[in-house]
Amino acid sequence: MLTGCIKNNAAAQEALYNRFSPRMLGVCYRFAKNREDAEDMLQEGFIKVFTQIHQYRNEGALEGWIRRIVVHTCINILKKNKKFTDSVDIIHATSVHIKEDMIPSIMQAKQVVECIRTLPLGYKTVLNLYAIEGYSHKEIANMLDIEESTSRSQYTRAKAMLEEILIRKKIIQKQRKRTDFYGAVSPS
Amino acid sequence: MERIFYSDEFEQLLKEKADQFRMYPSKRVWHSIYNNLHPSRRWPSAAMSLLLIITLHLTGYLNTNDTNINNQFIGNTHTGNNISSHNTAQKTEAQRQVFTNTKQQSPNAGLEYAAKALVTNESEISVNTDVSTVDQGTLAQNNAGTEKFSQENKVSPIPDNNIVQAIDAYIKTNQVFTDVAGANKKVKLKASSPSIDNIAEEETPGENGKNKTGTGMSNPKNEFNTLANSSGTDKLAPGDKTPIVKKDITPNDKSLAYEEKAWIEDYAFHNKPQGKKWKGKLDVEFYATPAVNYRKLTTASKGSTAPFATTGDINQFISQKPGLGIESGIDLSYAFTKNLRLKTGVQFNYTNYNINADQTNHPVLTTVLLNDPITGYSYLASRTSTISNSYNSSALQPVVLHNRTYQISIPVGLAYKLSSTKNVDWFAGASVEPTYVFGGKAHLISSDLKSYVYEPSSIRNWNLGFGFETYMSYKLGAYNLQVGPRVRFQAYSTYQRNVALIEKPYAVGLKVGIVKGF
Repeated sequence: MLTGCIKNNAAAQEALYNRFSPRMLGVCYRFAKNREDAEDMLQEGFIKVFTQIHQYRNEGALEGWIRRIVVHTCINILKKNKKFTDSVDIIHATSVHIKEDMIPSIMQAKQVVECIRTLPLGYKTVLNLYAIEGYSHKEIANMLDIEESTSRSQYTRAKAMLEEILIRKKIIQKQRKRTDFYGAVSPS
Repeated sequence: MERIFYSDEFEQLLKEKADQFRMYPSKRVWHSIYNNLHPSRRWPSAAMSLLLIITLHLTGYLNTNDTNINNQFIGNTHTGNNISSHNTAQKTEAQRQVFTNTKQQSPNAGLEYAAKALVTNESEISVNTDVSTVDQGTLAQNNAGTEKFSQENKVSPIPDNNIVQAIDAYIKTNQVFTDVAGANKKVKLKASSPSIDNIAEEETPGENGKNKTGTGMSNPKNEFNTLANSSGTDKLAPGDKTPIVKKDITPNDKSLAYEEKAWIEDYAFHNKPQGKKWKGKLDVEFYATPAVNYRKLTTASKGSTAPFATTGDINQFISQKPGLGIESGIDLSYAFTKNLRLKTGVQFNYTNYNINADQTNHPVLTTVLLNDPITGYSYLASRTSTISNSYNSSALQPVVLHNRTYQISIPVGLAYKLSSTKNVDWFAGASVEPTYVFGGKAHLISSDLKSYVYEPSSIRNWNLGFGFETYMSYKLGAYNLQVGPRVRFQAYSTYQRNVALIEKPYAVGLKVGIVKGF
């Protein structure tokens, strides 16, 4: 399949796409505002994958390599839309209101993902990159053109907010009593 | 990535759940990627259209005129006039068992409405019960592809006590209703979630057949939902409530509704029921191949008896032209693999080519060359003929002789998918076709090449054909259209072994077929 993709064989490309697109769309969905934006990210990501497939050196899993390209594509699209130049998203998104009925009652993995998507864009992006994709704060800072300290602080807040949401939705149990300011929050 | 994963359990949970999450993209994503990667590829539709047009023109051009033959000397033909239509009497009886002629009224307006909807398309099922002498006109009418037969028996609507049973049976066998009922259950589950609080209720139609809003039973979906949610014998009393989910009215209403829909699609994709193993792999094809028939004659004489008047190519002494034939039938094909299909079916073949000759005024004594079935040596057999080879006569009435055969064959073959795109596939196939020849006309050239002798008994009954084809398969909704050239060869001579002539015909045609998958 890999050889066929390098040779620009359409059947091999389609096979690779069918194999990895469900999971990659899930990755894009966590970054995107809606499904349509997620599919656009996926499309652009796979175009990059196929045009750069010859650079894959069999170092590590192919899925991991594809995933890195897709994540970078998502970040580039978000940056292109000037989301991260708005400092409010990253630095000043402290009072955010989330309503109970914005989070649909869904099951299993999608519950967690949907809860992540309800976070403000800056929180959501940092959380995705750090906790799920495994980037370091230094790498995140370079990708998003922010300070490393900003990345750390945003992650801490995002994690706390998400934890609160998941407890409210009874997806996880409350482990310790929280008395900080994370009450009613609304999206930016 | 420099960081080590899982600094705490919460992050581990996020990572695990996120990795489990899948979403299936729409088809447009792949199409966009494909078009971006392969901008120069365009399906050669223009070339295939040109090939189709040329082949059709060639077929029409080579089709010669049918000249009236003097049947006094040539004799009657057996053309299979007793081919009857499918057993309409049995069909009439089966349908009579389902429907009756009572005229009871239904007190339930809703059920009666549904019953009428079910019966509407089948109300004209009168059948011609006389199957012994079905003429071609009726046969053509019956084979028009509709269920309207001649108007001998009309069928009344189903009586009330059978309406409910009929609807029950229809609902149970119709997957649409169960799918709608399943979707309704999912909607009900969501309706019970605290995040979606706006649950509206709608009353079922009352005795006057209208619902609360006065829209009546005009929405078939609501009506079928109602039927799916109730047993066959339950009466829908006025005021019964059927919960449905009202649209959410939060600020991000539009995105959530779309996400809800996407989730339902993903859930349905993951949890769809297991279908039959062969479902999606088995196709049925109805096809026809108008073809041009060619033939080449060779001699097969043995021994010291004087052979034909020439030792060269006998075809140089015969004036003949290709004729138009047809191969049509039904095929079943099964997909072994993604690209390979096994095909078999039943095929009717009609072969025909034409010989230019002249009719004489009086019978002429001539001879034909035959082979002794025991020794294999050739000998001359006396015959009389009133048809002269046009090469050797003058000032006589010209006639066109038609050498025809009527065949039934069982093609067994394979089809291999050479290429595939979004809506078009390209196949190549070959088949072996055991064939039974049940009728025909044959004119043998005499040993002196001066006359033609009518010898229908010389036609071999069993033969073997080979078919080779390539075709494009176009997806048209639930059906596929297949078009492509086809060549058919015959393995053995048209004539029996005792005839010292060998005829190996072949046909070149354009196959057109409609395929329906199971």
